[in-house]
Amino acid sequence: MSSSKYARVFWVQLKNNFVREAVYRSNFLTMIVVDLIWIAVEFSLFTVIYSNTETLGGWSKPQTYFFLGIFFASDALFTTFFQRNFWNFSDLVNKGELDILLTKPIHPLFLALTRWFNLTAIFNFFLGLGILLRFSDAAGFQGGWKWLGLVGWLAVGLTTALLVRFAFSIWIFWTERSWAMARMYYQFFAFATKPDTIYPKMIRYLILTALPFAFIGSVPARALLQGLELSEYLRIAAVLSVFFVINWFLWNAGLKRYQSASS
Amino acid sequence: MKLGNIQWRIAALKNGFQDATAYRLEFLFEVLGAAFVPAAIQWVLWYALFKVGGATQIAGMTYEDMVAYTLVSILFTQVRGGDHDFELAEMIRGGGLSNYLLRPVGVVEFVYIRGVAPKIFIAGFCLVLGIAAMLLSKIFPSVAAATPNLTPLNLIYGMALAFFGNIIHYQVGATLATASFYWEEAYSLMMVKNMIVQLLSGELIPLNLFPESMQWIWKSTPFYLYVFGPTQIALGRWSTEEIWMQFGIAGLWMIGGWVLIRASWGLGIRRYLSLGG
Amino acid sequence: MSTIIEVKDIRRAFRSPKKEEGMKGTMKLLFKPEFSEHEALKGVNFKIEQGSFVGLIGANGAGKTTLLKILSGLIPPTSGSARVLGIDPFDRPMNFRHQISLVMGQKAQLWWDLPAVDAFDLLKAIYEIPEKTYRERLNTLTELLDVTKHLNTQIRRLSLGERMKMELIGALLHWPKVIFLDEPTIGLDVLAAAKLREFLRVFNQREKVTIILTSHNMDDIERLCSRVLILRNGEMIFDGQPSKLIQQGACRLRVRLKEEIPAAKLSQWTGLAESAIEIAEPEADDEGDAGDIKTIYFETKQEAVVTVLQALMKNCSIIDMGVEEPSLESVIQRIYSDPKA
Repeated sequence: MSSSKYARVFWVQLKNNFVREAVYRSNFLTMIVVDLIWIAVEFSLFTVIYSNTETLGGWSKPQTYFFLGIFFASDALFTTFFQRNFWNFSDLVNKGELDILLTKPIHPLFLALTRWFNLTAIFNFFLGLGILLRFSDAAGFQGGWKWLGLVGWLAVGLTTALLVRFAFSIWIFWTERSWAMARMYYQFFAFATKPDTIYPKMIRYLILTALPFAFIGSVPARALLQGLELSEYLRIAAVLSVFFVINWFLWNAGLKRYQSASS
Repeated sequence: MKLGNIQWRIAALKNGFQDATAYRLEFLFEVLGAAFVPAAIQWVLWYALFKVGGATQIAGMTYEDMVAYTLVSILFTQVRGGDHDFELAEMIRGGGLSNYLLRPVGVVEFVYIRGVAPKIFIAGFCLVLGIAAMLLSKIFPSVAAATPNLTPLNLIYGMALAFFGNIIHYQVGATLATASFYWEEAYSLMMVKNMIVQLLSGELIPLNLFPESMQWIWKSTPFYLYVFGPTQIALGRWSTEEIWMQFGIAGLWMIGGWVLIRASWGLGIRRYLSLGG
Repeated sequence: MSTIIEVKDIRRAFRSPKKEEGMKGTMKLLFKPEFSEHEALKGVNFKIEQGSFVGLIGANGAGKTTLLKILSGLIPPTSGSARVLGIDPFDRPMNFRHQISLVMGQKAQLWWDLPAVDAFDLLKAIYEIPEKTYRERLNTLTELLDVTKHLNTQIRRLSLGERMKMELIGALLHWPKVIFLDEPTIGLDVLAAAKLREFLRVFNQREKVTIILTSHNMDDIERLCSRVLILRNGEMIFDGQPSKLIQQGACRLRVRLKEEIPAAKLSQWTGLAESAIEIAEPEADDEGDAGDIKTIYFETKQEAVVTVLQALMKNCSIIDMGVEEPSLESVIQRIYSDPKA
């Protein structure tokens, strides 16, 4: 397996998506406006809450905004690179698109998950970074070499979203209609939009383990603002590894089923 | 109204209901998901503010008040308008409208009736569930103390207002959907509307939490009539005069919505026909 | 020439879950699924030489696509063994994938929103084709198929015929040794199908690639394939040259008789087996005048036509008659529908 081939394929997919989006330019502004409103709504919610209190679960207002910045940036990365591929995931099985992918000399999942990009969403990534930067001082972020840590944490957030979304999508091999699962993912995803420390123990435990949505924004924000204990690092590594193994297992089982059910 | 006119409406209602429940498991997921996740998040916020943060009163509301609001608002969130304005927009954009123009029914109303069918079922179900849960909860003195004015009658009034809200929601959505006559991406307007509705309907937080200087924001839209208003009525936090006034306001919004949708639809359809669909 | 594909006693059974209505059915599917078994292939054997052009035909559900999927490695056979290029296809090793290509006429693999040339760029990266080789191949293929001027047009704006040509180019850029074509001419008009066929014929001869093609269009088979395999209900019922299907000197005598005579009697008069006599219901003629006179077909040899006619004329009066060459299409039609053949 040559990694340079994978890099080249990724690059061509990126280029092709750029061409495609250039064709549909009108979409660009719309997307940005919709996402801006979404961000504005999330901000208003917290603004309203903080107009009644000083801290929320130990988070001051600028700290929460700092968290929102990371969350938006991380989510924008997912939207840019993966979201649409997951929307189209069910076609792989239901329309038999997997057939063609399986005959190509490259991992079929790599092709399936790099097919569609949403390059305009990268704007939101920078918007998220902007928010983060704007509130970093007030939130007590030390900056300096810790900005490097931000890169790592964005990668953790992106990996988490990818693994969890995958775990919700893979059931298409068994259910034919993955609507309900996709919707459930987005309902649970709402837990990611608040800092994890405000949740009661049980929910908090859940979003740090079985549904690790806290890794997308809250944990990175806490890590950058206060630092984490070793046990938390270990837990993140463990949870993500377990997700990876489960996904790998489900993918193989699903593929096997796909191959035994088709004629 | 002629008999035929009633018949197609009943048929549309039935069709809409069957369509929504064709996949029962998904219908269940949708109802449960739409009810419990927003409620869980609300409850978590109150928990963080009161129990972890140690607040005793926020905007005149105690922890118990907040939880009562959250629980009752679930019922009305279920009834609030669905996404059938998207269907209307897609019909206009994709040209599916042409098929409907040939039929002897009003398209805008047809889509509404189809969409509202499962909501009527859910509303009835919520009402029964709500009254049962309420009577049951009165056994616990602490709950009874937090919700002294929660009576079956108030709940029914609340549900009535929520239904007015459902109609207004569709009127707003359908008016925005007519932008599809001119613009490919009109659905984004509706997405924006939905996000604003989420915040200003009161399904995420009670609207009286808004700081004094920002109260005018929600008061100037009809969205608060969807969830916040009905919940206030059900919990008996509005006086009788206030309730009548709010029903009056809802009526005005509905008339306004009716005029608006007729005007924008009439303009749009002329363009649609002149372009040949 | 060497054997490139070898199939030994391949069977393929597949199970499909039986889902019952509603919530209960879904729950049952999750925890205690029930399956129905179906045999798509029931012991198929054949060998294919390098460079040959083989047609694979059969009615819908006969097992053609299943066989193609097994040969291209998408699904494993339930029992038996397949070897393509000396490799077990289902292992799908990289060197195998580099040497084969699968084209499904009903499934597009190119992007709709992009010009073909960008989609080919992706394939170039996937198959790691060097720039120079890629250019040469692209030139050769686009010239052969006459689509050079369409390379920069969005796929969605191309006609079905041009789109299929682009799909073919995409499937050939890595110069596969074995090509599986599943109904490549489906939906194409006569002219476009003819052009595609001509290209396939030239490409097969020039590059000595092995091509296996399924089609419902008998023109495809007749003009391209030196050998044809016929599947029926998962069994192979014919393997040989298409011309062998049509017996030398065989012909079809068509007559219309004044009175209605049962097949048994006709058989007695003419000395032909009853199975060689087909009585068709009256059909409307050009003037829309169906009448009630049935048309009778006799399968016989050219030299025996006169004898049959004489026997008929002795016993009844003939209104109308004619002699037809059997077409491959009609032969195949009979093979599909005849359970004994």
